[in-house]
Amino acid sequence: MNATNRGMNRAVLFITGLVLLAAGGAAALASAWPVAATVWQDGTRTALSWMKDAEGASRISEATTVSGFTIGVLAVLLVIIVAAIAMIARLGGGRSSVVIRDETGDGVQGPVVIRQGFASDAITRSLASRSEILTSRVSASRVRGADVLHVSVTPRQNTSPVKVAETAIRLVDNLATLTGRETPTLISIHSGVRSRLAADQPRVN
Amino acid sequence: MTKPVLTRVVRRETHSPRTVVTVVVLVLIVVAAVYAGIEIVLHLLRASPLLVTPGVALAWVAALPTAEPQPAIIAGAVAVAVIGVVLLWLAIAPGRRPKHSLGISGHAVIVDNAVIASAVADRVRRELDLPKGAVIVGIGHRAADVTVRPEPGQVIDRGRVRSVAENELDGYASSPRLKVRARVLQYAEKEGVS
Repeated sequence: MNATNRGMNRAVLFITGLVLLAAGGAAALASAWPVAATVWQDGTRTALSWMKDAEGASRISEATTVSGFTIGVLAVLLVIIVAAIAMIARLGGGRSSVVIRDETGDGVQGPVVIRQGFASDAITRSLASRSEILTSRVSASRVRGADVLHVSVTPRQNTSPVKVAETAIRLVDNLATLTGRETPTLISIHSGVRSRLAADQPRVN
Repeated sequence: MTKPVLTRVVRRETHSPRTVVTVVVLVLIVVAAVYAGIEIVLHLLRASPLLVTPGVALAWVAALPTAEPQPAIIAGAVAVAVIGVVLLWLAIAPGRRPKHSLGISGHAVIVDNAVIASAVADRVRRELDLPKGAVIVGIGHRAADVTVRPEPGQVIDRGRVRSVAENELDGYASSPRLKVRARVLQYAEKEGVS
């Protein structure tokens, strides 16, 4: 659970895919089909001569090869680089260390903030005492301005997910009773290598 | 799921964010842009290029239709187009993860398909008194495939397999709902002997 902007991810993939498809398709067509080849050559010749003209016309001085045009190209490249790095840097995030906050402080006790560590300890300790649950992890995140608790549980294989969920929900509800406030909670039940290795408890059938 | 924030959380948890592919694509874009920038600057400084000067590169692109070897050029161009199609597919396809959301409480519950499969298999195995490993369950997005391989001499009714599996899944209230397809395999003679 994080705050990655998924629409942006898909937009990046969509645009890049479109560009690659167009470039690859056009190049393949131009190589394989003479009519497309003449179109390709005419088009690129026009583009190249336009670039030469623009480059020559925007020379800063006679003595150098530096021109306004090349500086423009470099600026565009720089913008692309900065934008891509900014997008990578913005991925993820959205974790929160707070489970419950009451900052208005209209109660007797004033502003109340319950940290994730408290809920995490309370819930994972209780789950650890149950034999059908191998591992559990609790984290908090902030989604659209609301704190959400995420309890992630890996049970032993062949355990009914409903029973596991009910156990976890009971603990979350107990926490809600204790704190007097209900936090929206996501319970995710996972399978993994550990659950497969610890498949069956010895049972008497 | 009463709270809208949980609806959003469930959607995010059951669909892939495409982060890995996006990071790879963005890193490649950065590398390509940096390389192009270096070549342009080297050209401006009249230094020798790393690989190719910008002018030569552009001329090569312009002369691409006549470049040799032509089959290799076409293959490369098609490969680029195929990568483009794959990226478009990744951008548009829903990217569902193998998980189901259970509607058993006011909180959001998300379960890996493998957990559902093993629970259903265990229930069927116990109810029909089958040996370990005799029940194989595959969970898809909308269907659960239950395959039973009874022991020699054991008669298993397909309808009963289905009703047991349906009974287990009814308690899950999964969304989307899972339709049960039951199958009973005949015990192969030679497997029993060897």
